[in-house]
Amino acid sequence: MLGSLHFPLANLERRAVEGSIDYEQVGLRVGLEVHQQLLTEQKMFCRCPAGLYTEHHDGIVLRHMRPTLSELGEYDGTALMEFKTKKNIVYLLHKSNVCTYEMDDTPPFIVNRRAIDIAIEHCLMLGCDVVDEVHIARKQYLDGSIPTGFQRTAIVGVNGRLPFRGRQLTVIQVSVEEDSCREVRDRGHLAVWRTDRLGMPLIETVTGPELRTPEEVEEAILLIGRVGRSTGHVRVGMGASRQDVNVSVRGGQRVEIKGVPQASRARQLVHSEALRQVELLRLRDELHRRGFQRPSDIDMEHIDITTLVTDFRLDSLRRENWERFVEAEEMRPGMELAEGPFSVRAIRLPGLAGTVGRASQPGRTFAHELAGRVRVIATLDQPPILLHSDDWPEYPQAGEELKEIRQAASCTPDDALVVVWGVESDTVTAAEEIQLRYADATEGVPHETRQALPDGCTDFERILPGPDRMYPDTDSPPRLVSRARVDRLRVDLPEPPWGRQA
Amino acid sequence: MTETNDPLKGYRGRARERLQALGVRVWSEVRILNEEGSSFEGVILPRSETSDDLHVVVKLATGYNVGLHIDRIREIQELGFKEAIYKIPEQEFPESPDLPKVTLLGTGGTIASRLDYRTGAVIPAFTPGELYGAVPELAELCNLTTRKIFGVFSENMGWEEYVTLARAVGDEIEAGVDGVVIGHGTDTMGHTAAVLSFMVQNSPVPIVLVGSQRSSDRPSSDAALNLIHAVRSAAYGDVAEVQICMFGPTSDQYGLLHRGTRCRKMHSSYRSTFRTVGDIPLCRVSATEFEPLTDEYLPRNSHRRVKIDPLYDDRVTILYYYPGMKPDIVDALVEQGYQGIIIAGTGLGHVNKPVFPALERAIEKGVHVVMTVQTLWGYAQMYVYDTGRDLLDIGIVPLDNMLPETALMKLGWVLGHTHDHDEVREMMRHSFSHEITEREPHNGYLILQGGLPETEEFVLSQWK
Repeated sequence: MLGSLHFPLANLERRAVEGSIDYEQVGLRVGLEVHQQLLTEQKMFCRCPAGLYTEHHDGIVLRHMRPTLSELGEYDGTALMEFKTKKNIVYLLHKSNVCTYEMDDTPPFIVNRRAIDIAIEHCLMLGCDVVDEVHIARKQYLDGSIPTGFQRTAIVGVNGRLPFRGRQLTVIQVSVEEDSCREVRDRGHLAVWRTDRLGMPLIETVTGPELRTPEEVEEAILLIGRVGRSTGHVRVGMGASRQDVNVSVRGGQRVEIKGVPQASRARQLVHSEALRQVELLRLRDELHRRGFQRPSDIDMEHIDITTLVTDFRLDSLRRENWERFVEAEEMRPGMELAEGPFSVRAIRLPGLAGTVGRASQPGRTFAHELAGRVRVIATLDQPPILLHSDDWPEYPQAGEELKEIRQAASCTPDDALVVVWGVESDTVTAAEEIQLRYADATEGVPHETRQALPDGCTDFERILPGPDRMYPDTDSPPRLVSRARVDRLRVDLPEPPWGRQA
Repeated sequence: MTETNDPLKGYRGRARERLQALGVRVWSEVRILNEEGSSFEGVILPRSETSDDLHVVVKLATGYNVGLHIDRIREIQELGFKEAIYKIPEQEFPESPDLPKVTLLGTGGTIASRLDYRTGAVIPAFTPGELYGAVPELAELCNLTTRKIFGVFSENMGWEEYVTLARAVGDEIEAGVDGVVIGHGTDTMGHTAAVLSFMVQNSPVPIVLVGSQRSSDRPSSDAALNLIHAVRSAAYGDVAEVQICMFGPTSDQYGLLHRGTRCRKMHSSYRSTFRTVGDIPLCRVSATEFEPLTDEYLPRNSHRRVKIDPLYDDRVTILYYYPGMKPDIVDALVEQGYQGIIIAGTGLGHVNKPVFPALERAIEKGVHVVMTVQTLWGYAQMYVYDTGRDLLDIGIVPLDNMLPETALMKLGWVLGHTHDHDEVREMMRHSFSHEITEREPHNGYLILQGGLPETEEFVLSQWK
């Protein structure tokens, strides 16, 4: 989407460097998806105990995900991206908290009635209109976080209102859904997940994109949390409440920051994301200025330079260093590494010199955007993931070695150069992803889900999926919600937090 | 999928009347205002015919569906109309002259399919082009031809379908394919595999039945991997018998080839549901390798001439014995004209004394009564106890370690050839395709008991 900026770039540039921006001027809009686990005895679609966590396992399952065809006869973009990763997905099971439902070897049982009741209570607290029939849908995820490849989810209420700072914050919908697995690790082609949390019921409260500053975001998260807790029917404590924060600036794009664990973390994350989007829009303008108007204007070449760099001093490029973890002197297990020869690949980015090293988030550059895609999609996750000519590491002979690679890749002074390494097929995927990321950059801000980093910045997690990934759960019949049931639940509602404040 | 022109598909009674009065139909893009003042924008979906007549289903822009009570709807404004037309993307299946020829016969199970998002119905992918779009790996294995024989759920397979299928297999083999794959629902796949083992004899090439336990519209489906394993086994495998190819463990690891007469679905939903009973499987197959587990099979031989023998008599049944069974049930079967009764007896092949006279009457009337065991594993050994000996005296034919379902399919097939008691007895006791084995290997019965330390240790060291 091509939008133009409605504010002077020159001003912005100075402020961005300082790390502060005028949120009103850049048109910051933030919406929330607040998740709260429900205090039920059993999980949502089976009779396993909810809230029983284990740190060991007594069974393991190996799975792979394949994208299913979308409505228009094409693969969903997110699904296809996740398929490219060719992940070996391993689930750790423990008998105390999972049955054959969680491992996707038994269809769902009838949805937990108590979970629906709690969701209805929450809807009523928020002034939502409760639907008459709850339809379970499947929301596709191929990252392995759910063994079926989709999350079972259903809308319970819509059109709520939340009194907030003297105005009404829109609650678009409240849904009830099953929680996903806990990640144990995700390196190379191997992702390991623990299944204890999987299938616990949670409610998701979705607000309109009506928050205007990071402070408002933090306050709204806390407020929605209080609404949920006021019924006494949601869980509290570590991990019981998590939020996705949807951020955009004017001319930018909705970007979802996933799994923000605490409200206080949201402030810095929102700020960094606003800054990032502003910088990406500036990069877009720069690309347009250089003649890269459309995604198809971006064209790159890549070559294998394994032999050339064999005796280089740059030891990240050595096969033996790639085959072990950097953080521990331990070899990677075979499932993490794809099969195929080791390759070092030089990618020539014609006409893009100076763009890789441009600022994005505080303390980060556009190279971090490229590295995110390479890490997730090409699964080349060994730090530093990639090297590039705008910021080549400093070491004796660095200049000579960079020059030799640039020559081999036929770089002119106008060209940027990126180097990646790993199993050959993965390095080719990496080259393709770098081209795709630049193609996206010609349009501004890509539609992404991003993960929160401890320093308040974000990193790529996946392409943000669209409504095409939703489809009806053919295993679950719709559940009737009678008005009598809604009225019965209304009787015992606690006073809302804003009522008490008044 | 059945096509229908009903503009209010699935809506009955009051919901139908109301929607008609409001002038909207299925696929109308609408804005619905309810009595609370909430507005819902989306597309009206068809209603499942088993659901009530009080709700309208709407797909919202977010992709979620909700049901709205017809009495709470204040007004519906039609904003447009958007009928969904679905088509599986087709890509031409690449032909490679050097690769083997495989034909996939479809009976109705969906090996590759796509969900119709709006209705929840599954559209099967079936032509080579559609399958190539869904499982591109197939093009590296073979030249694929597909033939849809029928489109039925596996519980609706029956004798007429078995005959049609056996003939179709014969036609393909006569036409010179290197292997045949049969896509089949899993519920009665074992029955079909058993009956084809008798109707298709002397095959020069592998005949492989395959299906899926998790529907192929889901990312975690076993369908694609099963299909890849089955096509590999048909194209390159050495076992020229009727076999079932399904997941070995529930993990995405390898498939097992089970002999058609010795295989059974053992779990209603697990991926690794098929098990060879009383013997070991024929072969382990992965995306890249075959690991034969036995050499006792009919090897591939292109000079062999296939014999199709599709005769049957469907007046056969299984009587699953239970304590306290009354003789009238046997009399009733005879009265209804059944010609063959498979008893799934207790232990070594027993039923209670009160049923004896009824069985005697049945046999006197020319009904063929045979004995299998409901333990599934082990032999009917009726000479061990007096009960068994008495039953033998009556004229009941013991079928050793033939599985009850295999015995049913076989007796139906045999009775298509002869009703002569001695001939039936001889054919039933003759092993055409390992349906009776003389020896049971000690690893042919392995049901690991969960909870025991040694089992837990083993389970933890393996993919489940």
